[in-house]
Amino acid sequence: MTKTMTFEGDLATVDSATGLTTQGSVTAPSNVIPAGVTKIDAIVAAAGAEGLADGSAVFFIRLGGGAVQGGEQTIMISAGGRIAVQSGSDAGPSVCTALVLEDVDIAVRASDTIRVQAEMAGSDLGTGHVVVTLIFA
Amino acid sequence: MAKLYRSREGEATAVDTKSQLTTLGSETAPGPLLVPSGVSKLVQVIIASMENFAAATGYSAFIRLEGSGLPDGPEVIGCLAGGVPVATGGNASAKAIVVPFKACKVTPGNEILIFAEMAGTDVGQVSVGVTLVFQ
Repeated sequence: MTKTMTFEGDLATVDSATGLTTQGSVTAPSNVIPAGVTKIDAIVAAAGAEGLADGSAVFFIRLGGGAVQGGEQTIMISAGGRIAVQSGSDAGPSVCTALVLEDVDIAVRASDTIRVQAEMAGSDLGTGHVVVTLIFA
Repeated sequence: MAKLYRSREGEATAVDTKSQLTTLGSETAPGPLLVPSGVSKLVQVIIASMENFAAATGYSAFIRLEGSGLPDGPEVIGCLAGGVPVATGGNASAKAIVVPFKACKVTPGNEILIFAEMAGTDVGQVSVGVTLVFQ
């Protein structure tokens, strides 16, 4: 049995654990672990910022809540950096493709809730954007 | 045994200098990264890193894993290299790399120290995040 669960959200400030609780048009997706699964088998995650401020930063997620066994799990996802362009120039885009982690093997308790958070750490690059898909088995 | 994921992050701000990664975003003092009980090996290292493009030059970067939690001694892993020809316009993102370890022995209850280092020339700042995956 394979089930997916996806959350996304924005990181307004650096060094602040921010809950990912929405899924675009679905404003309150369920965070209850599906019945019949025992672990997170894979994670797909992407994180980046629009680069409105100078610096460099890393992005990571926190998986916690009653469903996650073995304590809170923290996982690095990506990193970004930028410096201001010359006056009159346009900055280039900065896109980060998704990281796919296979054989994640995080034990979870079915029918309990999971807390998915993300953080930007280092410099404040502006607004961070994060999407996380948990694939259960 | 299921896997356990433990992380630290920080910045390397000087060339050829070991910078210990001691924070985790909103946790400014998470304490020593101890090998969790019940595990026997480090099976993966996940590293996210990027520079701030503040100087027109190039560099490479790597991490060091040290401490009594690694009975077979320290490990060093390269993670990033690059540069920029002008100091007015660098802009990049990169997903983390996943480094497989077949079986790096660890000692539960003991500390693993994580350091980041930039080499080559000083680019200004390199942010580095490291996740250790234990099993």
